Amino acid sequence: MGITAETLDQLQGEPGWLRDVRRNALDSYDRLPMPSKTDEEWRRTDVSRFDPSQFSKLEHLDGQKLVLPSALPEGVILKPLRQAAQEHPDLIEPRLFSLVHADRDRFTALHAAFFTGGTFLYVPDGVVIDQPIIGQHFSHEGGTSVLPHTLIVAGKNSKFHYLDEYIAEHDDEAGYRSGSTEIFLGEGSQVGYVAVQKWGRNVWHFADQRAELQKDSSLKLFNVTLGGRFSKTRVEASLAGEGSNAELKAIYFASGEQFFDFHTLQDHRVGNTRSDLLFKGALQDVSRTVYAGLIRIEKHAARSDAYQANRNLVLSDKAKATSIPMLEIDNNDVRCTHGATVGPVDPEHLFYLQSRGITKQTAKRMLIQGFFGDVLDRIPFEHARRLVEAELESRIG
Amino acid sequence: MADFEIKDLRASVEGRQILKGVSLAISKGEVHAVMGPNGSGKSTLSHTLMGHPGYTVDGGSVIFKGQNVLELEPDERARLGMFLAFQYPVVVPGISMTNFLRTALNSKRGYDGKDKSKQVTPKEFRSMLKGELEVLHMDDSFLPRYINDGFSGGEKKRAEILQMAMLKPEIAILDETDSGLDIDSIKFVAEAVNRMRGPELGILIITHYTRVLEFIKPDFVHVLVDGKFVLSGGPEIADRLEKTGYAEWGHTEEEPKEVA
Repeated sequence: MGITAETLDQLQGEPGWLRDVRRNALDSYDRLPMPSKTDEEWRRTDVSRFDPSQFSKLEHLDGQKLVLPSALPEGVILKPLRQAAQEHPDLIEPRLFSLVHADRDRFTALHAAFFTGGTFLYVPDGVVIDQPIIGQHFSHEGGTSVLPHTLIVAGKNSKFHYLDEYIAEHDDEAGYRSGSTEIFLGEGSQVGYVAVQKWGRNVWHFADQRAELQKDSSLKLFNVTLGGRFSKTRVEASLAGEGSNAELKAIYFASGEQFFDFHTLQDHRVGNTRSDLLFKGALQDVSRTVYAGLIRIEKHAARSDAYQANRNLVLSDKAKATSIPMLEIDNNDVRCTHGATVGPVDPEHLFYLQSRGITKQTAKRMLIQGFFGDVLDRIPFEHARRLVEAELESRIG
Repeated sequence: MADFEIKDLRASVEGRQILKGVSLAISKGEVHAVMGPNGSGKSTLSHTLMGHPGYTVDGGSVIFKGQNVLELEPDERARLGMFLAFQYPVVVPGISMTNFLRTALNSKRGYDGKDKSKQVTPKEFRSMLKGELEVLHMDDSFLPRYINDGFSGGEKKRAEILQMAMLKPEIAILDETDSGLDIDSIKFVAEAVNRMRGPELGILIITHYTRVLEFIKPDFVHVLVDGKFVLSGGPEIADRLEKTGYAEWGHTEEEPKEVA
């Protein structure tokens, strides 16, 4: 059985407009070509062996677990996305897939056609939620598709933290996974968003995390990528209002035969905007990573600041990290820096620690933890920080 | 036989032979100074003794506690009782001094994460630190900072001596510990080292200048020129070098100015 219009029949009880969205996305999927090696974005990223028809069983329909703060302030909507689509079409229809376009490429189309659930969070104007909201997305078996989608709407001057956790019950599962997120930040809102991807080691994973920031809003986005045999993640911030500020941070830890690809975009569409990106990764064994990031300063975006750095710690001779920072600046009145490093543990650091009696193994572990230390400090809330530290700890060994 | 015996040590860096047969016997309770002009092989000696991977041993042996330490990893040498105070302590981002000191101390005691009885307790750790910090005229504000990060030259050198005091080695190599220090810092460092002097510690001071030897009096002085000792004797040799420099061995280099 292929992944076809009949596959959509597994998704019952949705409003007509959503069925149309899915059908249109499926049309896009059928129409769009497979990315080719001549396409810059896919030059180092081989998707030729990805066959979604192997994974036509959709799992996790609304199966996420929401860990709520003890009481949600009045007016906050937090529910499974498919249910919310029924109950709040006015809030969802105009926004769903308006940041992560279904027809961007075959994979966003596939995700839009078959997304299996996920979360809708709406925080009204002026509402502040102190405790973090946590959405946990589980996969229970291999051979399936698990494609959650998160849609977050932050009202004016609202303030809150949200964590998406993607969890595999079996680390060796194969399958097709995604976990895309759209975040709309209203004027003056402050949003902390953390996504921790720990799907199984043999899955195909595609994710698009994109935020749009209105005037004076502030986003702290933190991506953690640990799972997948193949993982492609786009992290994009569209700075659409003056005074907006996007902090985009990520850590990744690749081992075995894992391949991770990150594409980032800091799109300064108006002036007086600021973005600060830091992606840090460690690679072991024969793993490979590709990072390509673009800072785009549009013509009228004067007095903008943009920073971008990608740092890779390569722990094995056979692992390979590629880093491609890019700038596209159409205004001269801006401050921009970007940089990339790829290298092993510094032998002078190792020698210094060993000269104090610390074994090579322990010294290496400390240096890897130290490498991630400054970026871990930027995880916007304590619960997520502890979670990520524990995950890293268990992988660094 | 001495406690620490360097025999005919030969070592090279990037294929160039630097140490051309160095022999030196150090017993605990003694302070030896190795002096030499720039390029004589002083750094190579200290790095080779501690096992820096950039230095190749071409021959000879270093016997300590019945083992040839040249065959050991740097961390094994340290746990056996050797210590090197670095000329240029490295900045290691992401690891706090506290974490570093505690892990080093635990490693020295053979704590491997399992036998809790070997682990240094927080209370013990704090009290050890407190005493040593006072002697070195340091405050504890540097403890949460990353290793040597943002430390002045003097703070870095004092932090080295602090580590030595915590780890209590039996053979300590002080590599140009005086370079880059102002006179007050030299005094604090010397005071801390002199406190550690005793029958349980052998010290090898490597230095270009005689100044530090006014504060840490050596029992023996060895002059290293072109990878070999050209003169060994008592502290009077330092006085002779103070007057004539290394000119008698053909090194008429301009003495570089001390940097405070």
